[in-house]
Amino acid sequence: MVDPTTNLEDLIQIEICPARFLSPETAQELLNELTNIEGITRAFIHGPRLPTTVPYGPATGHDVDHKFSKTIKIGETELDLAVIFGRIRLEILNEEVRENIREVCERTLPMGYEFRQGLFIQKRQTVSDYAKRGPNADPTTLGLADPKGKVGNRVCMLNPAE
Amino acid sequence: MAYEAQYYPGATSVAENRRKHMSGKVEKLREVSDDDLTLVLGHRAPGSDYPSTHPPLAEMGEPECSVREMVEATPGAKAGDRVRYVQFVDSMYNAPSTPYFRTYAAAINFRGVDPGTLSGRQVVEARERDMEEVAKFQLETEMSCPALASLRGATVHGHSLRLPEDGIMFDMLDRCRLENGVVIMHKDQVGRAIDKKVDFGKPMSEEEAAKRTTIYRVDNVAFRDDAEVIEWVHTIFEKRTAYGFKPE
Repeated sequence: MVDPTTNLEDLIQIEICPARFLSPETAQELLNELTNIEGITRAFIHGPRLPTTVPYGPATGHDVDHKFSKTIKIGETELDLAVIFGRIRLEILNEEVRENIREVCERTLPMGYEFRQGLFIQKRQTVSDYAKRGPNADPTTLGLADPKGKVGNRVCMLNPAE
Repeated sequence: MAYEAQYYPGATSVAENRRKHMSGKVEKLREVSDDDLTLVLGHRAPGSDYPSTHPPLAEMGEPECSVREMVEATPGAKAGDRVRYVQFVDSMYNAPSTPYFRTYAAAINFRGVDPGTLSGRQVVEARERDMEEVAKFQLETEMSCPALASLRGATVHGHSLRLPEDGIMFDMLDRCRLENGVVIMHKDQVGRAIDKKVDFGKPMSEEEAAKRTTIYRVDNVAFRDDAEVIEWVHTIFEKRTAYGFKPE
């Protein structure tokens, strides 16, 4: 959860892109290691969608039951993977946190990865965000989900505010 | 001296593999039974007769036609089979074949086929038993690797994505899985569950895939390493441009 006193503009954003799509087991290991690092404010997992039923074609409506569509456990929170873990974008407090994350990646991603710093999660509301969520929207969910989609089951709070 | 067809220029392994695919002189690597093939294609029940759209040509009484006399109909056309399709997808990570070379292989070596070439997938439409012949040829030979190429009637986008950790090309519909070191297909090509797990054998190792691929890649054999190919590409480009230029 972002501290309301933190200036969003000062936060650093990084992206970790493994050389391969991660299995749920490796994704769980990486995410658990990341949650142990202090100073990560938000995270965004990106990858191709894992549908529950065949969306189109002659088999439309048949169950997919995908091998990667599993429930993973991050700390005490259970999370249904709706996408295969392709890359993760993180918003962090400072450069020290960034180096800690790099160490975790060295340990958990033996297949290799790309690690870069840049702007990956939007910092200001777009018109679509404004139209969907209004002027007083929670800034923590900004850029984490499609403003035209349903936020409910896509954004997961690991350490909700008391 | 008898003329020998020349299919593709170049001295690299990729150029050699391209020549192999086009000429149809490819190595057979695995066996796929007829029933297994019918199951994964999903057009009819294994062991059932081929449904037909018209009576056999011999019973129809064809009109007098010099072309019909010169060109013998394919077995599927003779029997009046339905037109059905098979669609392959090849990963960009050193898959053995590519849509273009699957199309060359089908169009050069088989009759009565209608190959369709797209960026990520390649479809062959033909009379059912003719199509099965093409599908079997491409599945059993070095044109396919069970991990890097697969039968996908719909939802093909995994071809351009990174490979998952197990090395099996990503499939949104999860048709292929790695089980006990072999790749099995437990759904048909459009994603309907089938009664049996069809075994396609072991996936190629990374080294073998790099050796058998028809894809030029900077991290394997780069396109620009093949001077003869570059020369021919430039020649064709130049001539196409010159002949297309029409000053008025």
